[in-house]
Amino acid sequence: MFEHLDPRSPTPLYEQIAARLRLAVASGELRPGETLPSVRQLAARLRVNPATVVQAYRDLEGEGFVDMKQGAGTFVREVAADRRSAERTKQAGRLVRQLLQEAGQLGVTTHELTEAIRRELGAKVA
Amino acid sequence: MSHAIEIRDLQYRAGTFEIRDLAVNVPTGSMYGFLGPNGSGKTTTIRLMLGLLRPIKGTITVLGGAVPRESPRILARTGYVPEQPHLYTSLTVAEALAFHAAFYPTWDWTWATELLGQFQLRRDQGLARLSKGEMGKLEMLLALAQRPELLVLDEPTDGLDPVVRRDVLTALLDYVSQQNATVFISSHLVHELERICDWVGVMDRGRLVTELPMHSFKSGIKRLRVEHPPALPGDTPFVLLAREGGNGSLETWTVRGWQAPMQQYFAGVGASLREIVDLDLEEGFVELLRTFREPSTGA
Repeated sequence: MFEHLDPRSPTPLYEQIAARLRLAVASGELRPGETLPSVRQLAARLRVNPATVVQAYRDLEGEGFVDMKQGAGTFVREVAADRRSAERTKQAGRLVRQLLQEAGQLGVTTHELTEAIRRELGAKVA
Repeated sequence: MSHAIEIRDLQYRAGTFEIRDLAVNVPTGSMYGFLGPNGSGKTTTIRLMLGLLRPIKGTITVLGGAVPRESPRILARTGYVPEQPHLYTSLTVAEALAFHAAFYPTWDWTWATELLGQFQLRRDQGLARLSKGEMGKLEMLLALAQRPELLVLDEPTDGLDPVVRRDVLTALLDYVSQQNATVFISSHLVHELERICDWVGVMDRGRLVTELPMHSFKSGIKRLRVEHPPALPGDTPFVLLAREGGNGSLETWTVRGWQAPMQQYFAGVGASLREIVDLDLEEGFVELLRTFREPSTGA
């Protein structure tokens, strides 16, 4: 799930971890009641500071995505469908901004970009 | 914020090498990455910190106690992995463990045994015959099994292969997850620190160049592409580390202490900011040292 974690990115690691989990909840990849890995497990697996994992979990708890139960673990909460949809919309926007930024750096025009998107979508549907 | 390590006005000299006006603050519970090129004074600072060398002047406080007056009490609660292995090579692994355990009231035999298994070390192996990687793992095992409040690691993974490095770091992170210890880790392997540390201190030529939370360090250092830059930058809201001319009216500026609202500065001086490029820890570190050594560049 965390293949794309990039310690070199200016986005802090806790934010990257939280964003990935938010998306997993929004997409249904993580279901209500499911347990997240313990702080100890996830820190060891990702080779990050345990405090980073704690911070990610705390942020998610504050936003109502998970429940941290002392001694029992961290559980995915039931998140309303419109909230999950809003989260996916937010992520889609982020992907597009990233794409636009890279295209800008490479000198790809908006027209070329929309054409390419249309073509790729067509190829995928076909 | 309480500090596990506090160094004030430290001065030390050995031959031509000198440490001057050194101040270091390591927050309790942090993982502090101590960066610097070879020969910058990292190991000397660590040895001063542990009372193994005597400063000319300055104060050092570790875990609330003054060094060297309270060193015995401090060292009992500190795990230290030196740059060079410091174990008696005539011992076996089992003997080295027993020897070490005798000095530490908090020594944890259960965990030591568990780590022996994880690190695939055999009790009857003689230290003289250990590979570099096995020795590195044994050093880390000894420091961890004493369950210290503070871990001081001097280039703990230097020269180790990637598999061993990973084993050693995983064991370290596992310990920090269980116990809220402070970790002070010196390394020139910048990428490794980028992943695990939440504080950075950068040292060069016996002086501390900067010390701040990892996040501030990384988010504040940028490369900017500036069109129609002013000949004299004047009062910049950021620290201009370097400026390099490109082709024509475009220049590349390397800055520190950057925040998004500072974009307004460029309109004020009739320039425009074309692009903001993020730097990772290694690039930021290299830029910082380059300008630290040539303070005449830039503003």
